[in-house]
Amino acid sequence: MSVRKRLQRLTGERPPDDTQSDRQRQINELRRRIEAIMSRRPEQMPAHSAVLGGKHLDLHDVIEGAEIENSHGQCFLVHRETEASAYHGHRCIRELSTVDMASASLLANNPEIAACNFTEGLFLDTETTGLSGGTGTFAFLIGLGWFEGDSFITQQIFARDFSEERACLVFLKEVARNKRFLVTFNGKSFDVGLLTTRFIMNRISDPLSDLPHLDLLYPSRRMLGHRLDNSRLVTLEREVLGLRRRGDIPGSEIPQRYFDWLRRRDGRLMVDVVEHNRLDVISMATLTLHLAELLSHEIDMDYANHSDLLAVARLFADRGYDERAQRFLGSLMYSEDRYIASDAGRMLALIYKRAGRWNEAVKIWEKMLMKDPCDIFAVEELAKWYEHREHNFERALSLVTGVLENVSRTMEPEREALVYRLNRLRRRLGIEG
Amino acid sequence: MAKLTLKEWLSRKKKDRRFMENVTSIKHIPAHEGIFAPFAGWVHPRIRSILEKRGVHQLYSHQAEAIESIRNSRDVILVTPTASGKTLCYNLPVLQRILEEPETRALYMFPTKALAQDQMHEIHGMIRELQADIKTYTYDGDTPADARQAIRKQGHVVVTNPDMLHTGILPHHTKWQKLFTNLKYVVIDELHVYRGVFGSHLTNVIRRLVRICRFYGCNPVFICCSATVANPKEHAERVLERPVELIDESGAPTAARTFMLYNPPIINRELGIRQSALTPSRKMAADLISNDIQTIVFTTSRLNVEVLTKYLKDKFSKGSPVDTQYVTGYRGGYLPNLRRQIEKGLRTRDVMGVVSTNALELGIDIGDLEACIMAGYPGSIASTWQQAGRAGRRMGSSIALLIARSNPMDQFIVEHPDYFFSRSPEHCRVNPDNLLILLHHLKSAAFELPFERGERFGGEDLEELLDYLEEKGILHRVAERWHWAAESYPADEVSLRSINPENIVVIDMTDAANHQVIAEVDWDSAFTTVHDDAIYMVESQQYHVDKLDLERQKAYVRKVDVDYYTDAMTYTNVRVIEGFDTKHHQKLIVEHGEVQVVRKVVGYKKIKFYTSENLGYGDVVLPEKDMHTTSYWFTIPRNLLGRLKYTQAEIIDGLSGLAYSLHHLASMILMADLHDIDRCIGDKSGEWFVRHGKDWRSITVSPSDGGDAEQVRTDAFDPTIFIFDAYPGGIGFSDLLFEQHERLLASARGLITTCPCSHGCPTCVGPTLEVGPTAKEVALAILDLLDRA
Repeated sequence: MSVRKRLQRLTGERPPDDTQSDRQRQINELRRRIEAIMSRRPEQMPAHSAVLGGKHLDLHDVIEGAEIENSHGQCFLVHRETEASAYHGHRCIRELSTVDMASASLLANNPEIAACNFTEGLFLDTETTGLSGGTGTFAFLIGLGWFEGDSFITQQIFARDFSEERACLVFLKEVARNKRFLVTFNGKSFDVGLLTTRFIMNRISDPLSDLPHLDLLYPSRRMLGHRLDNSRLVTLEREVLGLRRRGDIPGSEIPQRYFDWLRRRDGRLMVDVVEHNRLDVISMATLTLHLAELLSHEIDMDYANHSDLLAVARLFADRGYDERAQRFLGSLMYSEDRYIASDAGRMLALIYKRAGRWNEAVKIWEKMLMKDPCDIFAVEELAKWYEHREHNFERALSLVTGVLENVSRTMEPEREALVYRLNRLRRRLGIEG
Repeated sequence: MAKLTLKEWLSRKKKDRRFMENVTSIKHIPAHEGIFAPFAGWVHPRIRSILEKRGVHQLYSHQAEAIESIRNSRDVILVTPTASGKTLCYNLPVLQRILEEPETRALYMFPTKALAQDQMHEIHGMIRELQADIKTYTYDGDTPADARQAIRKQGHVVVTNPDMLHTGILPHHTKWQKLFTNLKYVVIDELHVYRGVFGSHLTNVIRRLVRICRFYGCNPVFICCSATVANPKEHAERVLERPVELIDESGAPTAARTFMLYNPPIINRELGIRQSALTPSRKMAADLISNDIQTIVFTTSRLNVEVLTKYLKDKFSKGSPVDTQYVTGYRGGYLPNLRRQIEKGLRTRDVMGVVSTNALELGIDIGDLEACIMAGYPGSIASTWQQAGRAGRRMGSSIALLIARSNPMDQFIVEHPDYFFSRSPEHCRVNPDNLLILLHHLKSAAFELPFERGERFGGEDLEELLDYLEEKGILHRVAERWHWAAESYPADEVSLRSINPENIVVIDMTDAANHQVIAEVDWDSAFTTVHDDAIYMVESQQYHVDKLDLERQKAYVRKVDVDYYTDAMTYTNVRVIEGFDTKHHQKLIVEHGEVQVVRKVVGYKKIKFYTSENLGYGDVVLPEKDMHTTSYWFTIPRNLLGRLKYTQAEIIDGLSGLAYSLHHLASMILMADLHDIDRCIGDKSGEWFVRHGKDWRSITVSPSDGGDAEQVRTDAFDPTIFIFDAYPGGIGFSDLLFEQHERLLASARGLITTCPCSHGCPTCVGPTLEVGPTAKEVALAILDLLDRA
């Protein structure tokens, strides 16, 4: 008995004479899916809506690209130039090339990037056959972008089949050779690792892993995460970059789309995948500008979102740029949003305290206390200062007593800390509990 | 009362006539002198010096032999007793090579995490003394994510288990580039554990490993260790699929040991019932422990661990309260922390008695126990020696007691001590080309590297299998290569150890505010152990199962204190799909081939502790389980049976009795676990089958809806006895049984004829309470009929 027959028995499949109709059913199902896809995005595909489900269309018919060839074979390349005057969300492409490299390097937390020119950056995003990672996940579309003069170039390398992978990787390597740093969105844990795997499996040396790498996911999360539901690129586009995609293919559908393409070779299946990838690449460029601007500009209190500015200040403080952090916080202390103002005050005072600039710190705490006599943070810090620095136990005691009398809604652990301090102060002053 | 030493205890027992009446054999295994060999000249002086510091001035002969072979890049299988210094046989050449070439990498594989932990301590100790920059790490499911990257790049010796190799390492081989380009040694310890299903999986994992190694251009030496089995070389060569050198002459000295085989007395000759093996086990364990003799008791099931632990805890907590861990249970299903705590307690002698399943059989370091009691034959001679070896690994003298149960295998062993003590233990068998297993690993292999035309993998037609997977849309073929073309991660779809990777989590809801996970049960045993209203036991605490939620894979339980436990009732129905081969023997038609097996749990019995009284029944509503597998069977023509002067019910009983003894003898001839095969009586169409009711057995007609099925007469069909592989697709047992049919039938005849019971007993045709009072007589009549015909 054939292996197949035995398998069918073991797995309880239908006998083989049904496969013909199975295959037919599969094809019908595929056709139905293609039609559903086409009808979902009429505004972008008006020309084809009339021939739905009709004849099969080649890649060339629907995507402006060309077959390219190198020593390792062939693949398909989509070359597009986005002109300087074009807009992507709020931003005009021309503005993008003005990114301040010191800020970009701060975003990446990698000083090597500061020495590069923005046009030497390679934007990269891949579309893959799955998200599980591992050696069985294939990057069938590698989207690349960079600046040339005022305009933005995207080159998307498409493997029309697994056999074209080597040619794709060699092409990517050629492009990367002229670039000095890499920009991705979540590339550190996904795209770059995946491509490294692909290079190893094709026995080609990996051009990417040694490039300085700005992964926008982490700074985006830090600087904008506080006001977003999630840190996905589409969310950032919508909430921050002012870009709304129409008829975009959800990322989760992309792997199946490629498997369908492998079977059907209908170019229409890939149209929105390629467009999705191209938009991702351009959005990374706009996002870089947006984030870098937040870091490079002097503080502008007219900027709509003061929480962003606070996050920026925190980033400065964490990376040791105290002076810039102080300037930001100094302004934010006067924000109309009183939560922002008080957070900024705390942070600024802590920076002063860390630097031993006690007078300035005390001034802020006192100011905070004036605004809100029950500000526990300010009371604690001031009490500490009076107790340990000034050795003015009476003043410290009166501060603590005052707040304990006035504040009954205090959270339990905070209250405990205050009571503990109170008792110690009393002991020091020789007052019996 | 003064405490006795082990020696005193033993000599007192020997004077106890009533005790000695039940001892069928007592064997003193004398101490053996060691055979030594000098260190080879190439051994690094630093390694020599740390070994000499430990008092190792020369090697045992088998160590020297193994080390030399490994040095010369020969794959080896080492078969020497517990505590003969197997670990050094691989640690020495591995460390030597790393000292010479620091890029060298080695992969160690142990069947359990606990064993891996234990071996880590060993090699860590050596490295620390060497003061060399050699990094050793365990890499398993418990390894923290942030440590993994460093392990992949820097670990010289990576200690893992086959499951992790299967799901975590091979599918991510590019991250392990450094390891795979420098891999010189692969150590596989406890190779005999990898047999049956597990071994069939492991063979495929090794195929994948070798394939990845080839990709990176490395060709590691394989070093295997195994307990004593009959076919170690053949088994190693089957698993590694290459020639392997056997080293089995141990040069290690051994301590003296007393081995006793004990057959509990018959308490009801009429029914052929012997005293339960648990009773003498409990008494002897209690006696030994109260003399401060540290004792391990092995039982054959998780249930018995709990039952026996409860008995012993009851005993030792009477009067003055003792530390709760003074005697304790130990088995898979206990959470890791608890297990580590018990292992430590054994080493520090805070735990003086432990009742365990075979979970403690392998080389986990639990110190030197003095006494080992096996409540029931562990199922194989290799296991018996390993369990016995847990007592007295290094000490002067120790005792091992094997206490037989009533089943045929146990009885055969204790009544045939020559068979046991002569070197004739079990065979390990694997069937790596079981289509389902092979197919699973083909998917994983394709995920790891595309298949190329002309490549070899397994013994089946590879291209046909790849085409099949392509048709399923899982692989995509282009330019003579098959690529993985699916979103899923195939290694997650199959567990190496059980049919179904899904486990049922048992949740204790006694405290409404604090639900706690107390255990995990694999999918298959869940049907019989945590069905609704079952009594489930952990650490001898009883839990009532309120609800088994198969969909969410959870069983909700509550603590209870009742005087009974539950035992599930199941039925089985077999239908022949295709015969592979047929022969005639006497009047029988003997065949083997592929079958469909349908099984269902229909209810449970409540059984009272201590008295084993049947307290009642309950129904269980669970889905059927459907399996395709391979089976051996033979059919008795109905007109032949018609000549017997017995009632229909009696004939069915006789057939059931015969099937019972065949099942047990088959598992012994195959040296397989009793649960690896199963039996059923029916007809080949699957239309009729024998069903065990609450109080009687009957032949019923499918469909197996559990309702009031019609009763059928035996003359309506030709009764067939099936002995089938209990794993989908089969593990290669059936064709062996087909070949051995004549021997099997003759053994059954011998067993039943010579059994001293009057009407049938657990040793021959099964307990009369189950098979009926005439089973023995009718079974013999059937065998006679066949002989005369």
